[in-house]
Amino acid sequence: MASASPSQAAERKPNFVEESLYEVHKKVHPRAVTGIFATWRWALVWFTQLVYYGLCWLPWNGRQAVLFDLVERKFYIFGMIFWPQDVIFLAILLIISAYSLFLFTAVGGRLWCGYACPQTVYTEIFTWIEQKIEGERNARIKLDAAPMSARKFWLRAAKYGSWGLLAFWTGFTFVGYFTPIKTLWGSVWSFTLGPWETFWMLFYGAFTYLFAGHMREQVCKHMCPYARFQGVMFDPDTLTITYDTERGEPRGARKKGVDPQSIGKGECVDCGICVQVCPTGIDIRDGLQYECIGCAACIDACDQVMEKMAYPKGLIRYSTEHAIEKHWGWKEIVGHIVRPRVIIYSTILAAICIAFVWGIATKATLRVDVIRDRATLAREVEGGLIENVYRLHVINVSEAPHRYAVSVSGLPGIDLVGDRIIEVPPAGNKSVTVQVRVPPESGRKGSNQIFFDVKSLADEKVAVHEKASFLQP
Amino acid sequence: MLRIVWVLWPSFLVAGIAEGIFFTVIDPQELYLFGEPVHVSQIATYSIGFIGFWAVCAASSLLTCFLQRTAAEINKGVGAAPPPAKPA
Repeated sequence: MASASPSQAAERKPNFVEESLYEVHKKVHPRAVTGIFATWRWALVWFTQLVYYGLCWLPWNGRQAVLFDLVERKFYIFGMIFWPQDVIFLAILLIISAYSLFLFTAVGGRLWCGYACPQTVYTEIFTWIEQKIEGERNARIKLDAAPMSARKFWLRAAKYGSWGLLAFWTGFTFVGYFTPIKTLWGSVWSFTLGPWETFWMLFYGAFTYLFAGHMREQVCKHMCPYARFQGVMFDPDTLTITYDTERGEPRGARKKGVDPQSIGKGECVDCGICVQVCPTGIDIRDGLQYECIGCAACIDACDQVMEKMAYPKGLIRYSTEHAIEKHWGWKEIVGHIVRPRVIIYSTILAAICIAFVWGIATKATLRVDVIRDRATLAREVEGGLIENVYRLHVINVSEAPHRYAVSVSGLPGIDLVGDRIIEVPPAGNKSVTVQVRVPPESGRKGSNQIFFDVKSLADEKVAVHEKASFLQP
Repeated sequence: MLRIVWVLWPSFLVAGIAEGIFFTVIDPQELYLFGEPVHVSQIATYSIGFIGFWAVCAASSLLTCFLQRTAAEINKGVGAAPPPAKPA
């Protein structure tokens, strides 16, 4: 497809350009925008980043509140401790995230992309730094085109330097969720970081720098799987950023305050500001496109222009396909939020959330695995008793040390030899070997069902009743 | 550029998932390397594991990219002329 002539390529055919070449990408210099949706976006930048940069410093019971300790294979989240056996919770959490995404997308379009996705959030921050150092859109375009000079060099150095610092801090914070961050902070200053900690810090930092500083909208357009399939969650009642073609067209320039009808035009003054503010460089007036991340920057921008022109706001607005077609107001749009798709997503989501909370609330704080010693099946010991040997693996999932009493039942005359009290430190585990003895006449030949009871001495409710089999020769 | 993304990015995502599942199920201390228990630290095992998964997945993506080349691209103008490209 290399046959595209320059004149063809110059035409506004985004899809064609997209497919015809690998690197036609033109740098997008989004113009800064203010307004209600920009405020929302910044609020979410602050919220998500305060959580991300701050949470790892929060102490809890003398340890880090949120720590994914890979070495010990334990995840600490405030008062809860998750072990590899708890992977089901992670799976449920992922399902909840997926259904939330489906639900939000069906109702409000790409809300995630526009406001909360790390790619959007970091691009927002990096663009803000760029704007503070190099100036507004026009100044940046000029600087890009200008030959290298002392001024350009210093501006670039300041920008890349600031990006680098922020990226490094982001990488440091990331590793701080896996290695206690206070220790990590000490290691940075005493130059005693482990090789892999250094590697992951630089790796994550470098990718933040690359994605938020240089690749930006390209990540959304070429790398994000969600951007590709979000369309299937859309229906004609989904809120999307919409240009009201009927009201806007035919577009054209005019003097301030001119009544569009008097000059036979629509309300779009064709100022192009909606294109200039777009972080992905598209023209929303061409209709809904998969490149649109739903950031609503064009809404803010267009509303300001409409205000200046003394036209009603909302030429570009959150609306639905049906609403535009049938000239619905907000009342009808809101009325159509409740529809089968939304009901199904919400019901499933609510059910899974309840199951998740219930599961967490009733999560056992004690786990016992009973493993029969396979080396000796059964043997006769003093007094003619028959003995089987078991290994008890006791896992204390709570944050307090526990002493557990072990007992055995299920056969007449059954008793155990060995430790009856097992002490396990907080979030620790212990393996003990116990011998179980029964009289030879007890039970039948072959396998008999017996039960181990492990009970906390401090709290009777913390108890496990575990099945095992006893072999009678 | 886009080709590099096609090879490295999907493999990165899949390697992340593979890493998560693999090491949830298997404790790195239970691994054996050529019959010897693994001696390196857990962090190193996890890291090498991830890079290994990534490399394997990237190799698969690379092959996919390689096999996607059309006949015209391979023939380089020899044989029948390629059909005119259709703008999307």
